[in-house]
This record gives sequence, structure tokens and C-alpha cells, in this order.
Amino acid sequence: MPRATGGILIECEPAIKSIIVHLDSVSHDIIIEDLDEQHLLVRPNMVHLLKQKLEERLKETYRPEEPLADSDG
Amino acid sequence: MPPKRKAAPAAGGSAKAGRASALSTPGPATPRSLDSSMMSEADEDLDEDVTEAQKEREELLGQEADEFVNNWAISSKRFQNQPEGKKHDAATPYFGKRDFSGLPLKPDHLNRPLWIDPDKGTIVLERFNALAEQATDFLITIAEPKSRPTFLHEYALTTHSLYAAVSVGLRPRDIINTLDRFLKTALPTSIRNFIQQCTNSYGKVKLVLKNNKYFVESVDAEMLQKLLKDEVIGKLRVQGSGDITTTYAPTMGGLVIPGTKNAAGVHQADLKQADKQEEPGKEADLYASLNEEDDDDDKEAVHAFEISDSAVETVQKRCLDIGFPILEEYDFRNDDVNPNLEIDLQPNTQIRPYQEKSLSKMFGNGRAKSGIIVLPCGAGKTLVGITAACTIKKGIIVLCTSSMSVVQWRQEFLKWSNINPDDIAVFTAESKNKFSGSTGIIVTTYSMVTNNRERSHDSKKMMDFLKGREWGLMLLDEVHVVPAEVFRRVISSIKSHSKLGLTATLLREDDKISHLNFLIGPKLYEANWMELSQQGHIAKVQCAEVWCPMPTEFYDEYLRANSRMKRTLYAMNPRKFQACQYLINYHEARGDKIIVFSDELYSLKKYAETLQKFYIYGGTSQQERMTVLENFQHNPNVNTLFLSKIGDTSLDLPEATCLIQISSHFGSRRQEAQRLGRILRAKRRNDEGFNAFFYSLVSKDTQEMYYSSKRQAFLVDQGYAFKVITQLANIEKTPNLAFATAQERRELLQLTLVDNEKGTEDDIETDDLFGKPGAGAGGRGKKKPGPGVRRTAGTLGELSGGQDMAYIEQNKGGAHLKKNQKANQSSFFKKIAREKERSRK
Repeated sequence: MPRATGGILIECEPAIKSIIVHLDSVSHDIIIEDLDEQHLLVRPNMVHLLKQKLEERLKETYRPEEPLADSDG
Repeated sequence: MPPKRKAAPAAGGSAKAGRASALSTPGPATPRSLDSSMMSEADEDLDEDVTEAQKEREELLGQEADEFVNNWAISSKRFQNQPEGKKHDAATPYFGKRDFSGLPLKPDHLNRPLWIDPDKGTIVLERFNALAEQATDFLITIAEPKSRPTFLHEYALTTHSLYAAVSVGLRPRDIINTLDRFLKTALPTSIRNFIQQCTNSYGKVKLVLKNNKYFVESVDAEMLQKLLKDEVIGKLRVQGSGDITTTYAPTMGGLVIPGTKNAAGVHQADLKQADKQEEPGKEADLYASLNEEDDDDDKEAVHAFEISDSAVETVQKRCLDIGFPILEEYDFRNDDVNPNLEIDLQPNTQIRPYQEKSLSKMFGNGRAKSGIIVLPCGAGKTLVGITAACTIKKGIIVLCTSSMSVVQWRQEFLKWSNINPDDIAVFTAESKNKFSGSTGIIVTTYSMVTNNRERSHDSKKMMDFLKGREWGLMLLDEVHVVPAEVFRRVISSIKSHSKLGLTATLLREDDKISHLNFLIGPKLYEANWMELSQQGHIAKVQCAEVWCPMPTEFYDEYLRANSRMKRTLYAMNPRKFQACQYLINYHEARGDKIIVFSDELYSLKKYAETLQKFYIYGGTSQQERMTVLENFQHNPNVNTLFLSKIGDTSLDLPEATCLIQISSHFGSRRQEAQRLGRILRAKRRNDEGFNAFFYSLVSKDTQEMYYSSKRQAFLVDQGYAFKVITQLANIEKTPNLAFATAQERRELLQLTLVDNEKGTEDDIETDDLFGKPGAGAGGRGKKKPGPGVRRTAGTLGELSGGQDMAYIEQNKGGAHLKKNQKANQSSFFKKIAREKERSRK
């Protein structure tokens, strides 16, 4: 029987998609449907959390600029 | 955007000096793994053989040095006494501490080239200004270059740089006036104070070895009185050496650095004469000499008192404590005690202008100053060292990093100078020669000298020989690689009058460089890379960073992998592989010779095997290395060579014109610069429109991006611009492009994962590219054995000591001899013998 679920379509680079899939693999509560290389359907209530997690994740990869020695203003 | 540039030495640096092991070294953000960190490995190797007590002592010394370094940073309270009249307006909050609107611009500021930061002592130079040339010359003398791109140069005013300025004879007054003249704004008071305080305390007191006695010398007699009244130093003065003696400051006078233009017409005899003319000043008789040389008005009187040899270190320390660091100088022309060495540059040797400049800083006042000279790789550091040796003409000790460079140094000495081959000896594990004459040159490695473990009898004897002598000059090659503790050990065990450090990259990720300033001496000279390449001394290089996206399946795997596997994965990125293949094809077609660097051993092999190129790594046998290198140099069919990190330094391949880097050692700026150095000496550099190429392949969205930007910081500061290439044109049209299909890529991924499951094999660190014969062959594929246990191959007989022994009958020969003797005896002696025997009966 067909079922309708609300979701948010996310379009992103393959690398970001990979990260989202990786984040999802822990509890499987983010992604509804993995569409293709660049598109994902995610649960609307998780978008905020997802953004946060993604941010953290990216920080690990591209370490935040260390504060320049002379920019303590 | 480039990440943090190195801040002014120790500005706010945590005083975490004491290090129990190499791994606790405070390294900013450079993660180190136990098994692959080059630097820590080197440290450990040298540390193994030190007793605990010594370590403790060194730790203490290190801490003291740190404290001292911090104490003298410009931001330190002592220089920042009163705030300048800062204005506050609506825009102030946006600039925070970097609001310098309080500094009034001079009316003609457009004609002046310098800006200054009153808090940090950073000076920004406008290169496009009409006065830029003069300002550059001046700044190089008083400040350290930080960053030198095309239009704006950044310099930092530090204690060391001021120290260096004073040591070439600049006076605080001159520094302040000239700086003020070039500045767009009025000179801030804090900077003025800083300059005055530093210059007042620095360089005023000198430690001079004269006739093998140590003298504390100063232009200012009051200063010496102050020192003599000091409770510690006063006692250490040699009693009965009379009052403070007064002599004349030496001038550049008769000294000619060989190889310079001046040297062309000057003969040895002239030199001697020139010396003699100055000689009268040496006697304490002030008036007589004044009368004799009253045309030499500009000479300065110098006062000195003697201290005993053993007290030198204490005095140095004490002077440091009370804020008058001692400058070390060697008056080698008046040193009659140490025999002169017959050495001169070959008559046809011409040294380059920048080499001359660097040496003139060292011999600025006719004496040898200790310090560090920084020249890019391939710019002739060795020749600078040799010329310095030829100028001093005393016993020379050369310390280098590997036994291969020992051999190279010796060859260079023979090539550039007329030294007698017998006078230059080598001290390594294999050969322990001494020179034949009374003095000479010894070339050795840091580890040979600092090794405290059981030595063989020969090397112990050799060490005693080294320790027992006084050396005129200590040449320290690749000074940046050796930890400060090792220097302390070297310097304390071997006595030398002057020390010259040579390096291309005066930087360490652990910021311990500032210690060298105190251990060896200030940075005397740093060449401008861009200028040298414009003059054609080093090759022009185009740098590019190629971004290679990770295929999805690789990236998925990357996200799951541990850090070790991550590194392998981003090196094995098939897109990177394609980029590498493309670049190799492209440059081979242009006729370039290409070196490909990979730290990751697995990818090195995989790349090279897939592309059917030669590769050399730590485990390659000596024989094979030689053949491969030979072919690379001369065989037109071999244009590409894959190298692991053993090729980073001390590899001289002037044929190479293109360099591709597929994996590297985290964020090591030094490695990047050293690798670039491999193509700087390109043979074809003076061809019209010639460019060397340096590509760094980076996997997108991985940590490599971060490391890459960090690695480039040093080269960017030297004025190199990295182009970012996101897409290589027509890469998909490359014939036989590897891993073009998704199927192949998946297979590669599977293979990589399976092969590396048990952890990748490590590159065996041999000495260097040319390593000791057989060193690699035995250890092929094996992990480096941990300290303590060593595995060696050998027969049982050999291990039990049976190999070298043979049964020898000791008396046999003797018995024979007796018999023969008897046979040869004349009848007269036979008769006596018989009679004796009879009487005994």
C-alpha cells in the first residue's frame, strides 16, 4: 500500500552526500531516500540537526583557521 | 587561505620546553603518528643514547632558554609601557587591537615605503615605492623577512634581528633615525624603546678568543666595570691579568674574503702586511698607537678583561641573566696558537654576489661571527661554507646529517679549494681518519659526535681527539633538522671559536628555531628566493596545486577509515592517479624529466608499477638505486622517477625539471620547501623562458587540503604563488587512462583495502638516498625494529665468535727459529754452548 511521507530534498556535492550518508549510518534516522549522486530526501525534522552535524564534520576536515597571531581583536 | 604563519618568535608561546620525549614537543597542529613522523624519529634516534641525568639537565637548559626567549619578545611588558594616544571613534571596534589610527601620518607619507605595527614590531614594505630598494637593504639588516610576495613585503623586528644589526656595526641611533626616515608614520615610542633596550644590551659585550684566552670585551669601559662588580662574573676573572686592557677595534681592513672581486689582486703577502699595520693597536699602549695612527681617527677603543676557559659557560649564562648577552667573535687573524691551514679557493672560483653578501655579514669587522646563513636549496650553501673555511684558515670541523653528505662535503672541499687531500679527513662509522698535518678539516655527522653509547675503540679515540682540540670554525650543515638539545651537546663537547650554521629552511614545526639563535648565533643572512631566481641562480618555478575530487565509493570508505587508512586512501584516489598520469604524459612530451614524490609507500609502488616507471624507496638496494639514478640522468627513455621520502633532501639531480607530489608528510612546510629544492638547481634553468614545474596533487574534501595549505605557507612567504587547478583540460582523452571505468575504480578500492588491512608497510629510513650499502636490502618490507632489540643476519659460527678465529700454534714458529739458529751458529759458539752444557752437568 502506498504511503506518503514529507521530506526535504537536498542537493549537494557527492562528497557532502557521502558525509550525510555516513552520519545517517549510525541510527538511520536522517535519510528517507537516497536518490542519486547529488540528491537525497531527508526527514524535515532532522534538517537542523543535520546542518549542525555537518558543520562539525567539516570542521574536522578543514580545520578552522587557527586564529592568526595578530588577530585577537 | 594560508593558515597561521609563524608568529614572531615565541610571541605568547607556551613555555613548554621540557620534553620528556620527542613526542611531547609542542608542535602546532601537526599530528604525529608514532611510526611515521620523520622529525620525532630523528629526535629519538639521537636521544636514545643519552643518560637520564643528562636529559634532565638539558630539559632545564631548554626551559631556561624558553623563558629567556619569551622574556625578550617585543610584546613583553617591558617594552609596552605607555599606551599611545589612541583615538576612539565609531570605527574603532571593527579594528580591535589592530587600530593604528593613533599613529599620525607624515605629510609626505606617499613617498615613504614603510608601515609599522607598534605592538608586534611588524613592518610592511611597499615594494612598488620608489625608495623600496634602499628600504629593503636596510630592513634586511635590522629585521627578519617574514613574507616576500611581489608587492608587499613583511618584516619583523625581533631581538635577534636587532642583535644581528648591532653585530654588523649599526648603532641604535642609526637604526632609529633610518627607520624613522622610511616610515609613513612617526616612529612609535614602544618601537623606539624596544630598539634602544635591545641594542643597548645586545652586542655590547663580546666574548673573544684571543691567543687562546677568553676575553670579555666591550667598547664601553663602564659596562665592563659593571660586569666586574657583578658577584658571579667578578670572581671568574683571571687575577693578575692586569687591569682592563684597551685595544683597538679591528676593522675590515686587510681581510679579504677569497673569491670576491677584491680578492682578485690581493696576494697573501699584502694580507700579512695589512695585518701588521693594525697590530700596534694590540698592545695596551694607548698613546703610542694613537700617535702612530692618528689618521685612523674612526677607530674605537676596546676594553677587555680575561676570564678562564672553564668559566666561559658560566659567564655567558650570567651575562644572559643580567641582560647583556655576550656576542661571540673570533679574531682568527691574530690567533697564533692554532696553526694555520693551507687552504684557499681555487683561483678560478668566483662566488656569487649573494654569497659574498652573506659572508661579508659574517666577517663584517674582520673577525668571524657565529651565526646562521639561510640560502635556498641549490644556491650554493656548500660554497659559502667552504669560502668561510678558506677565510678563517684554521682547523675546521664540518657536521652534516648523513654519511652520504659527509662524502659530498669532502668532495666539494676538494673541488673548490686547493686543500691537500690528506688534510681533510672523514669521521663516520666506516672510516675514522685523522689528518696528517697539525691541523686540517674533519667532516662528520651529528650522530657520530653526539652518540653517547659504547663506542668502538677507534671512534672513542677519535672523539677524544676532537674534544681535545680547538677548532677555528664549526660548520653546521642543515642546521634546522637537529634538535636544540643535540646542539647543546655538540657545542659543549667540541670547542670551536666560531660556528656557522647553513640551512635552506630555517623553520621547524615545533618552533624551536628561536633557540638556535642563542646556541649558534643570530641569523646573519637570508636570501630572497625570488631575487635569486630572477638573477638565474636558481630555477624559476611554477607551482600548482591540483585538486582531485574523490570518487564517491572512495570517499565513503574514507569517512569510515582510521587515520592511517585515510592517508592511504587519499593517496590512492584514482582521480589523482589519472591526474598524475596526465601530467607525466604531458611533461614527458615536452621533454621534461620528472620526479614523483610519495610518502605513502603503498601508493608509490602501485603508481610506479601501473605506469611502468622506476621507483626508489628505503628498501631498494644500493646497486639498484645507482642503476636507476644513472638511467634517469642519461637514458632518454627513462624520464620519470618515483621517489619515497628518502629523496627529499641531499639528492642532486640537476636533470629534473618537473616535480609531482602525490602524498606528503602532513603539514610539514620544510618538506615542501626541501622538495621544491630538488628542481631549483635545474641544469636548464638559464634557457630562454625556462620554467620548472611543481605540482602538488591533493584529494578534495579530505584533510590533505588542510595540510596542503599549511605546507605551502613557507613557499608563499618566499614569494611563490600556487595556482589551483581544479580541472585538467582533456584529461579524459589521455590514452590508456587508468581507472577510467567505475568497475576498475572499485577493484582498485578493494585491492587497496585488502592490501592495507594489516597496516601498511613503512618506508625504511636509511641514511639517505644513497644510504649505506646493504642497509636497505636486509630490512626490505620489514617494520623498523623497536629500540632495544636488533635483528641481524649471520651464521651461528660468526655470532659465537668463531668466524675470525683460527688455530694458531704460538710456539711453533719460535721452536723453528731456535733450531735454525742452532744450525746457523758458527763452530765457535757451538763449542761454547757445549762447554756450558758440560759444566752444568
